Amino acid sequence: MQTWDHQLPIYQQLADRLAARLLDGELTEGEPMPSVRALASRYLLNPLTVSRALQALDEDGLLETRRGLGIYVRPGARDRLRQAARERFLHNEWPALRDRLRRLGVTANDLKWEQ
Amino acid sequence: MDPLIQAQGLRVRYGRKTALDDVSFSVPKGRVVGLLGHNGAGKTTLMKALVGLIEAEGRLNVLGLNPRRQRVQLLESLAYIPDVAILPGWATAAQLIELMSGLHPKFSAERARTLLRRTSVAVGDKVKNLSKGMVVQLHLALVAAIDAKLLVLDEPTLGLDVLSRKAFYEMLIDEWCDGERSVLISTHQVEEVEALLSDVLMLNEGKLVLAIPLADIEQRFTALGHDAAAADAMAAAHPLLRYRVQGGSAALFDGTPPPEVAALGQRLRPSLVDLFVALTRQPEINRTQGL
Repeated sequence: MQTWDHQLPIYQQLADRLAARLLDGELTEGEPMPSVRALASRYLLNPLTVSRALQALDEDGLLETRRGLGIYVRPGARDRLRQAARERFLHNEWPALRDRLRRLGVTANDLKWEQ
Repeated sequence: MDPLIQAQGLRVRYGRKTALDDVSFSVPKGRVVGLLGHNGAGKTTLMKALVGLIEAEGRLNVLGLNPRRQRVQLLESLAYIPDVAILPGWATAAQLIELMSGLHPKFSAERARTLLRRTSVAVGDKVKNLSKGMVVQLHLALVAAIDAKLLVLDEPTLGLDVLSRKAFYEMLIDEWCDGERSVLISTHQVEEVEALLSDVLMLNEGKLVLAIPLADIEQRFTALGHDAAAADAMAAAHPLLRYRVQGGSAALFDGTPPPEVAALGQRLRPSLVDLFVALTRQPEINRTQGL
């Protein structure tokens, strides 16, 4: 069964997983999101938690509600996500990684970037 | 809308033992409520009181009815799976469907057959030839075919392997949770069931030590992950529990610890398992401590 870590609230972890599926192309822009019930069943979560996760994604501008039709993945969502993930990496993860590379004396050649 | 269950000051005594002691709570519609507690904490007693099998002092209102005095009427809209096997071994699934159709005014044979199709149980299978997991699935398919407002499940997954438990939870979410109906489920599998619950009721030796929606847990409790250097400071702030997490230690507080303590750690999600350990004790521990 799915395991949920102890860092973030479960709804946030689900939102992150759905965002990852979106980035991977598993969820298509302009297409309907799976229903709350389908997601609850797939991830074995309470439907209220699923709704909260969808709300978080909606607040991040990744979803849109079409009147009478349901919740859809907003066009441009993938780019927004990629952009946000890039920013996070460059701001949060890269500085620490870069310092580590410097301490270890790893150069651009060592990284074999072109491969 | 009125809550589906309203309990006020419930008390059940068996001779000198108080099985339920001043228990008060309410359950709205559309909820999955976990009833957690050690063996002997009072879970089964509470469930029996809710379905009218035993008398309880205090005020109890289930679906607007008195469970003891209006039991027959209550059972039209409430389905109960007790913790002991009650499906007759000689019966086939088809016979049980026929039996329920005759017995229960709100049972739909059509729906039962549809629900059964998602299990590995065939209509011609006899209960005595089914594995434990399949019996539970059959039982759930039968009760979910009742147009009931409340489902009371007493340790439904006890003794089941993980695949059967997964199938059970899936069926429960898919076929029961429509936002209008509620389910009360008692279980030992705290970690596994946490994600399914919307609310939790935690019993310790007959007393209700926690009654809270899961979404409110993070507002009330604080879990702080910290390294060894902060251990003494954490201990001095009187946490409910200190425990290990991946990568270090953690402390669980009821409320927020003082800011200087909070600054020493990193906020984590307080898990239901940790709350359970923190708030309930095995009765033997209390005895040896002379309590």
